[in-house]
Order: sequence, then structure tokens, then C-alpha cells
Amino acid sequence: MSVSLCKVFPHLQNAEVSLDVQHPVPLFLPVRTKKRYFIPPAVGMKGKGEENTEAKARAAGIVFRQQYFERPINIACTAGIFDPYVPPEGDARLSSLSKGGLKQRTEQIRQSAASQLAIRKIKEHDSEFTTKDFSERAQEIFIEAHNCLTQFNKEKLHSLVTERCYPEMTRGNRYKTICWRFLESLEPPRVVHARCPDMVSKGNLYGQVTVRMHSKQTLAIYDRFGRLMLGSEEQPKDVLEYLVIERHLVNPYGRWRLHGKIVPSWAPTKDPVIKTVMIPGPKLKPGEEFDALNYSVPKPEAVQWNK
Amino acid sequence: MLRAGGLTYNPAGGLQVLGGGAQQLSCLHTSASLESKNWERRNLKVYPPQLPNEQRRAAEIHHSRRQIKYSKDKMWYLAKMIRGMSIDEAIAQLEFNDKKGAKIMKEVLLEAQEMAVKNHNVEYKSNLYVAESFSGKGKYLKRIRYHGRGMFGIMDKVYSHYFVKLVEGSPPQMEQKTSFDQAKEYVQSLKNRTIIHGL
Repeated sequence: MSVSLCKVFPHLQNAEVSLDVQHPVPLFLPVRTKKRYFIPPAVGMKGKGEENTEAKARAAGIVFRQQYFERPINIACTAGIFDPYVPPEGDARLSSLSKGGLKQRTEQIRQSAASQLAIRKIKEHDSEFTTKDFSERAQEIFIEAHNCLTQFNKEKLHSLVTERCYPEMTRGNRYKTICWRFLESLEPPRVVHARCPDMVSKGNLYGQVTVRMHSKQTLAIYDRFGRLMLGSEEQPKDVLEYLVIERHLVNPYGRWRLHGKIVPSWAPTKDPVIKTVMIPGPKLKPGEEFDALNYSVPKPEAVQWNK
Repeated sequence: MLRAGGLTYNPAGGLQVLGGGAQQLSCLHTSASLESKNWERRNLKVYPPQLPNEQRRAAEIHHSRRQIKYSKDKMWYLAKMIRGMSIDEAIAQLEFNDKKGAKIMKEVLLEAQEMAVKNHNVEYKSNLYVAESFSGKGKYLKRIRYHGRGMFGIMDKVYSHYFVKLVEGSPPQMEQKTSFDQAKEYVQSLKNRTIIHGL
């Protein structure tokens, strides 16, 4: 119920209207009141089609620049490990002093021709490449990278580890605390394998070198609440690892970064997680019952895999 | 029902606006926003590693569902019902409850249980209990409800949020007070009265 108020001009009413005024004097001027009720905005809009606005804009003459949906991507690392090194069985069990061990040790990379070729190619691009220096540098990179992982120093970690390795290292770790310590190196690191694959176009060279490391480390992972999930801080473990270090050779600013690890098929099984985990049981037909006594947990097959 | 009323019109000088007084600084809140997901952010808190002699900290999982098409007052009854129950009991009770909110709450609890086992390192999925559970008001949509004689009302399409916190462990035992105990306490409070300024 809107009440229209009349604004009265007192001076006009009281004034004597002169006879020679032509226009009629308004006695009552309707003035709108302030809107006091509330209508929700959803009432007004019914089916605003999106094509209308586009067509209207085009009709009005506004020209849009052609939108490109592609983004240039810079690939700085390969997607995997090309032609991975297959470590011989019993690599760590024989010590250097026994006869068999010495034989193994003297099997140098000179045997593999492809590795030699690859090393020669790497020396073309990077003149100061030597296998002895490189293995020590590789160990340093490894230790630095894992220290950055414990402190979650993302920027430094990106410079020490390739883009393919980074998510593998950090997945699921954001809300966990990792305590890792490198105690000592049991054997000097050795370069065992090298390859120079090229990606996409010929000449786009990447160098991948595999380094074998035997060392003592401690690892303890705590979950979000500070409870121990895996490993222990005091008990050190002897670890034999095959690291793959990669560098984009053609790029002058390329750096040697950790690309991945090779886990051989004969590697000993890792320690189990502290908590008990449920594994899915066998698929039963409608009438069958689960026989716990005769059921054996299926073990995964021993295959070499790259991490 | 709304009626558009008139203003106070002062013919001598313009429209008078009845001011609301000076704004008190004590009621300023700095982090007010409608889209702040604080409940979910509690899941991101990381505690430092515990020493081996400390008591094992219980895992806490916060979960919520936003903009449920249900009234917050009706949701409150169900939330109050499952407060303090173990998770299996709560799921069982909600499964056989006839309300609409019960089905949604059961889904939320199952989601939270799965999240607990997968992401928050909870060992046994039945070892959880509902520590906190409450409902909140969501963002309402406003529509017009037409009355006779040109009158209208604003109809609210109600939405609510539901929040739940699961804690690892068995549910804490609530002390049951018997009526005799309460009566004893009442009598004791009467006896403890002192008469001040008395002779």
C-alpha cells in the first residue's frame, strides 16, 4: 500500500497568482517514497542465455582477439629411465676381499660399449666430466636432496631433483615429518651405467648416468600427530642404491639432478609399516565361505622397477 | 508479511535518518568471511614428532559437508543424538532413522572414516568415536511467497552445514548421576548457605 505524499509549496499557495502567468501552477506534485520492501534479485532474472550476450557483443561491433588455448611447455627432464641398468645378482653380498668380489669389482664399465659411447657424448658437451669426480658429486647431490626433503625446502629441492623425481619423492609427505640421516658411506660410489637418449627431436640430448652407492642411513617417518609410522631414529640400515642422475646436455644452464632410483628384483623386502593394514581378500561366490586356514596371502612377483 | 511503511517526514528540514550510534570497536572481528573453511583447515595442522616416552597422541579427523538442503534446526536433533557415540553405533543409528538428514549424515561419517584410515594413519576404522558434531546455517536463497491482497513475504530456501570431529579411541564414559546423588547435592547446597549481616 503505497502512500503518495504531496509536496506542498507553501510560498506558491500563499502567493497571489498574477494574471499574466501563462503556465498553470502545479498545486500538487506527486513524489515517490523511498522503496521500503525487499524483492530478492532472483525474481528478475529468468533464463539469461549466454549466447545472447555473445551475439549482442558481436552485433555491437566489439571484436575479440583470437584466444589461444595452448601454453608453451618447457621440458627439462625425460619421462623415465631409458635402457635401465640391470644390477647383477648378489651385488652387495660379496665383499671386495674375496675372489668373486674382486672379479665383480674389476668388471668396470669399460665392458659396456654403449655406456662408453654415452660417456664420450657427455664429454663433448661437458668437457670436465670424469667418472671419479662425478660419483662423488652424485653422492653429494643425493645427500643434499634428502636434507632438503626433511626441511621441505621446495626451491632448493627443485634445483637438485628433476621434475619427474620430485612428485615421487614428495607425494603424501606434506603432512608428515621425515627424519633422515646419512651416517657414512660404506663403499665409495661408482658410476656403473650411462646413456644419452634424445627426446622428441633428434639432437635434444639428455644424459643419464647410473651411480651405485652403499651407505648407512637412518630413516624415521612420523605422521601428522607426531606418531612413528615407519623406521626408527636409532637403528641405522645398510642401503645399496642405484641412483640415476640426469642432465639436459644441450641446455648450457642444465645441471646434474637426481632423476630416479633403480630397485633390483633381488632386493631384500623393506620393513613393514608399524600399523596393521587390511588387504582385500579373495573374491567369493555367493555360497562360498572364507577359509582363513588354507588361504595364503599372494606375494608380488620380484621384478626390477624404477623409482 | 511485509508492508511498505512511511517515513518520518519533517517539513522543516529534509528527511531525518535515525542514526545507529557510534560503532563500538570491541565488536570488530578481523577474519569474518562467508567462504572461510576453518573446519577443514584444522586437518592440516602438523604436530612435531613425539618422544618415545610420551603418551601416544590420539588422531583427530575433522570433516564437514556444506550447503545441505535441510534445516539447521532439524539437523541439530540428529547431531545431538550421535554426540559421544562410537562411530559404528552412530552409523547404525543413522541408518535406521527416518529423517532426511540422517542419510546425509551417514554418508559424511563414512567419508570421514575412510579419510581417517587412508590419510590420517588411523589403524582400526572402528576405533573412532564422535567427539564433536553440530550443524550450522548455510547460505540461504531468497524467493517470494505471494499472499493475498498484493502482500508478499520473502521465503528462505534453507541450507545448512554439518560438521563432525572423529577422535581415535574408545568413547569416553559419561558419568551417570543418579537422582539420589542430585538430591544429596541439593540438600548440601542448602546447608552451605551462610546468612550475612545476621545477628
